[in-house]
Amino acid sequence: MIQMYHVYKTYGKDLEALVDVSLHVQKGEFVFLAGSSGAGKSTLLRLIFRDELPTSGQILVNGRNLVRMKPRAVPHLRRMLGIVFQDFKLLRDRTVEDNLALVTRVVGMPGPEGRRRVAQLLKLVGLSHKANMPPYKLSGGEQQRVAIARGLMNDPLILLADEPTGNLDPELAVDVTRLLLEINSRGTTVLVATHDLKLAEEAGRRTVFLKKGRIVEEWP
Amino acid sequence: MREKLKHIFAHALMNLVRAGWGGLASIATIGTSFLIIGIFLLLVLQLNALVAKWREQFRLSVFLEDRITQTQLEILEKRIQNEAAVKSIAFTSKEEALANFRRELKDQESLLEGLGDNPLPASFQLKIREGYQSPDALRRLSAFLARLEGVEDIQYGQEWIERISNAAHIMKALGIIIGSILTLGSALIVSNTIRLAVYARAGEIEIMRLVGATKAYIRAPFLVEGMLQGSLGALLALGVLFAAYRYIAATSGLASPLFSIATDRGFLEPSMMAALVGGGALIGAIGSSLSVSRFLKT
Repeated sequence: MIQMYHVYKTYGKDLEALVDVSLHVQKGEFVFLAGSSGAGKSTLLRLIFRDELPTSGQILVNGRNLVRMKPRAVPHLRRMLGIVFQDFKLLRDRTVEDNLALVTRVVGMPGPEGRRRVAQLLKLVGLSHKANMPPYKLSGGEQQRVAIARGLMNDPLILLADEPTGNLDPELAVDVTRLLLEINSRGTTVLVATHDLKLAEEAGRRTVFLKKGRIVEEWP
Repeated sequence: MREKLKHIFAHALMNLVRAGWGGLASIATIGTSFLIIGIFLLLVLQLNALVAKWREQFRLSVFLEDRITQTQLEILEKRIQNEAAVKSIAFTSKEEALANFRRELKDQESLLEGLGDNPLPASFQLKIREGYQSPDALRRLSAFLARLEGVEDIQYGQEWIERISNAAHIMKALGIIIGSILTLGSALIVSNTIRLAVYARAGEIEIMRLVGATKAYIRAPFLVEGMLQGSLGALLALGVLFAAYRYIAATSGLASPLFSIATDRGFLEPSMMAALVGGGALIGAIGSSLSVSRFLKT
């Protein structure tokens, strides 16, 4: 599903964010990217959703070469991906429901189908009863679940999560991780960047360790 | 498709309302620029209409010697007629000239009483083809005519038609220069207003990009907002210009000889008004693109 071959990413002259990273993620796999902040986790995710291009090396996502991809094909790549961030990135000026509905408009999903999809995903993340509330009235864990629901709106092949539990209390972090595992069990490939080693350990899934932009270790 | 159009116009209008004073400032700036452009356009059109009318009415008079014989007259008429520059030729005899003169003097015919013998010469009135009305061509023609046998004098009042025509050219050039500068300025003002709108919606734009919105989808509402600002500005300018035009044309006796020619044609031609509004929309679109393109990298 994701193949990276000898990927380097250098900012400016000598800031090496990623050094010779080769990583293969199979379809349906759940992988943690672990490492302290600045290890290159976010950069790696950004390369996968082609927010940036590698300085050298090749990246294939679902068989498509991102380096050679034309800019106008990028939106279609992103519709295959769900992306979740530490800071949720929810819009404060509209309800939970409207935050999800934004996606249906962007991809041109017809109204009735879009509404069905929104209801379905709110149910999955257990927030149907808060559909009409603005996000800031929800707890952090709930907000992250809304963000995950939004990430699933396009029924993505891959869910990318950058420190999804970084802003959450430990119990809520466990909740969110459990939700991600459940999504994975339905067939979605999931890639989670985290600095919380304990969380990765408890989940007992494949974990790739990054340090100073290099892959230094891998479990199991 | 309907959903998309709804999205585009709803957001464009929402942005415009949110822009508040900024949006109004944008519209007013474009309005002012287009007002000035419109004034130039109107002046140039009026002057051109005036010049065209004068050119149409333009006559060159060939005054004849009193002692010219009938044969000489006929030969002369043929020679003049054969000139490429001459569109038509009309003969005025001494008697007709006097009659015309009497008619023009009307109540002051007593002035003529002391004249005795008819002092007015016979003449040919020549209509000159458009292409031969330049000062050089006329000078050449009149030099040629003056040498012909039986010709006493040549008269034409071309210089001041040329002067007005030149003034129209200068006005046009000036209008283009000033108009371009103002247009550029307007585009920058729109660009600035739209940039604020883009920043206000930066979060939403980021999310739209992440969930796979195309550039066109993100850009369209801002483009429409810019076009709305531009075309509303141009409409405002046309409204003010029209009101001012009507007021001046109706009240100012000073301006009326100049305006009368074009007033029967009314205000600016509908196609020109459409072009101005379209131009406003275009400038708005350009201003908007400047801002949005810088913001959207992928």
